[in-house]
Amino acid sequence: MKKIWTVAALLLATTGLASAEGQLQLYNWGNYTSPELLAKFEAETGIKVTVTDYDSNDVALAKVEAGGHGFDLVVPSASYVPIWVEKGLISELDLSKLPNHANIAPEWMNVDWDAGRKFTIPWQWGSVGMAVNTKVYGGDINTSAVFLDVPPELVGKINVVPEMSDIMSLATMYVGGEPCSEDPEVMKKVRDVLLAAKPNWLSMDYGATEKMSNNDWAASVNWNGSSMRIRLANPDVAFGYPREGYPLFMDSVALLADAQNVEEAYKFMDFIMLPENAGMISTFARYANGISGSEAYMPEDMKTAPEVVVPEEFAAAGRFSPACTGKGQEYQTAIWTELQK
Amino acid sequence: MADRSFEVARLPGFATIAITAFVILYLPIITLVAFSFNAGKSVAVWEGFSLHWYADAWANDDVKSATVRSLIIAVSASAIATTVATMAALGTTRRRQFKGQTFIYVAINQPLMVPEIVTAVALLIFFGIVKTWTGYQGLGYLIAAHAAFCTPFAYLPIRARLEGMDLSLETAAADLYATPWQAFRRVTLPLLAPGIMAGAMLAFVISLDDVVITEFVKSGGQDTLPTYMLGQMRRAISPEVNAISTGLLALTVILLTAFFLLTRKKD
Repeated sequence: MKKIWTVAALLLATTGLASAEGQLQLYNWGNYTSPELLAKFEAETGIKVTVTDYDSNDVALAKVEAGGHGFDLVVPSASYVPIWVEKGLISELDLSKLPNHANIAPEWMNVDWDAGRKFTIPWQWGSVGMAVNTKVYGGDINTSAVFLDVPPELVGKINVVPEMSDIMSLATMYVGGEPCSEDPEVMKKVRDVLLAAKPNWLSMDYGATEKMSNNDWAASVNWNGSSMRIRLANPDVAFGYPREGYPLFMDSVALLADAQNVEEAYKFMDFIMLPENAGMISTFARYANGISGSEAYMPEDMKTAPEVVVPEEFAAAGRFSPACTGKGQEYQTAIWTELQK
Repeated sequence: MADRSFEVARLPGFATIAITAFVILYLPIITLVAFSFNAGKSVAVWEGFSLHWYADAWANDDVKSATVRSLIIAVSASAIATTVATMAALGTTRRRQFKGQTFIYVAINQPLMVPEIVTAVALLIFFGIVKTWTGYQGLGYLIAAHAAFCTPFAYLPIRARLEGMDLSLETAAADLYATPWQAFRRVTLPLLAPGIMAGAMLAFVISLDDVVITEFVKSGGQDTLPTYMLGQMRRAISPEVNAISTGLLALTVILLTAFFLLTRKKD
């Protein structure tokens, strides 16, 4: 009996050391961290990284806010970063410890949610656009009209992902407004255009990667990384960037205010801002990363992928949606509810 | 007389409804199991039979460590839960009726009624305070949390078994000068053993399958198999998750079968 307790005590003790020498606790989205990247980091620095998964921004926020979590780094989405900053859950970075900070691509340096990148550094980013089977529809795919003014060839064959903020941003920019608009006139137009388009949609569902690969759907509002995987399986599918405006998303690495392994965390952040290491992140999860020169270290099929490398002419139309508040949020929810009926 | 007695099985549409119900219950699971053997990457397009997703899952270190962690937690938590549940079952059945008995039943079975997310958030906040206060981050929190919500699952079969055993054998033992401890050790416990085993297995399965509470209570590096699988969902679902699910399903089915064999009336 005594033996069992000794074993139990040892077990609990060994798994209980959160701030041991040469350790780092990364709290990240599941299936998002390259194991090769962590192995390389450990080989170079002797620091062992433990990854713990989360599946939503809200769970991550709730756990860290409760305290006693033991994590050092977290990877929130763009619209959540201001919330983390405001609550004092992440610390301002000491840029003198991050010499590779200069490698952040200029377009990712002064972002709306973190001007000058004082709190977060890029992990991965992507966009929402139109995945279209060009055999079914040969017209212009770089417009939200693909799903908001459905061309006859796609009527009853197009899917729309049920993501409120993405669809609202696309529709608002299509009618000439700003995401999270609080202007009732603009939002009335958004409502009308969505309700008029809905009868022409096949479904509002997830799963485009499978359903477009096997030609169940001819088109879908979709994410760029998933669209690239579809094209690799089904070469007829192309990805369009709506010129009226399309939403971007980015997850960024932040240092927790109550991190135990601060020095190790800085080493890791600096490490992933080297182009060769950032390239490994993208190679694994198949999204772009925001570090200049990392393209050279990506696999051949990503370097040239139009879904990953945004064509020059459409780059300016990409927009990060802020987390909508007040009236803007109210209008969106009301329209979304009506759309779901 | 027997011909005119009421039998549900003779109502019109019985077979149709029964078959429909079974199809609805099992079709999604059969699809999941089938695609775990898919040669291709898709969970929707069949590309031939292969076992390589099982090999992938087996070779994946994250899956391995999550499995070991799940088993450590499930074994420890079900051991604690079964011990507590056995004592509770003895305490609530091997005695005269008492005031507040119903209240005690409800209190023991509370984790069955309270929505899991409520328990999860409560534990998140409570353990958050304890973790900050003690600095201890280990598996102990998960084991304690699992033991707590597994207790009623262990309690129910043990109590059912005790209620089916009358006191005559224990009374006879006492008449033959057995001390209360001897009577318990030599008579009650051996008779109760199948109930205890059944309770332990049920608790083990419940602990193994838990997602919500684990997700909120886990500290760094403490993903269990279910929370690891949940984390895989943000990107395209690969048949590797199907393969892991099938493995988990097989283990659960084996334990539940054992549970039914143990609790089956021997008559």
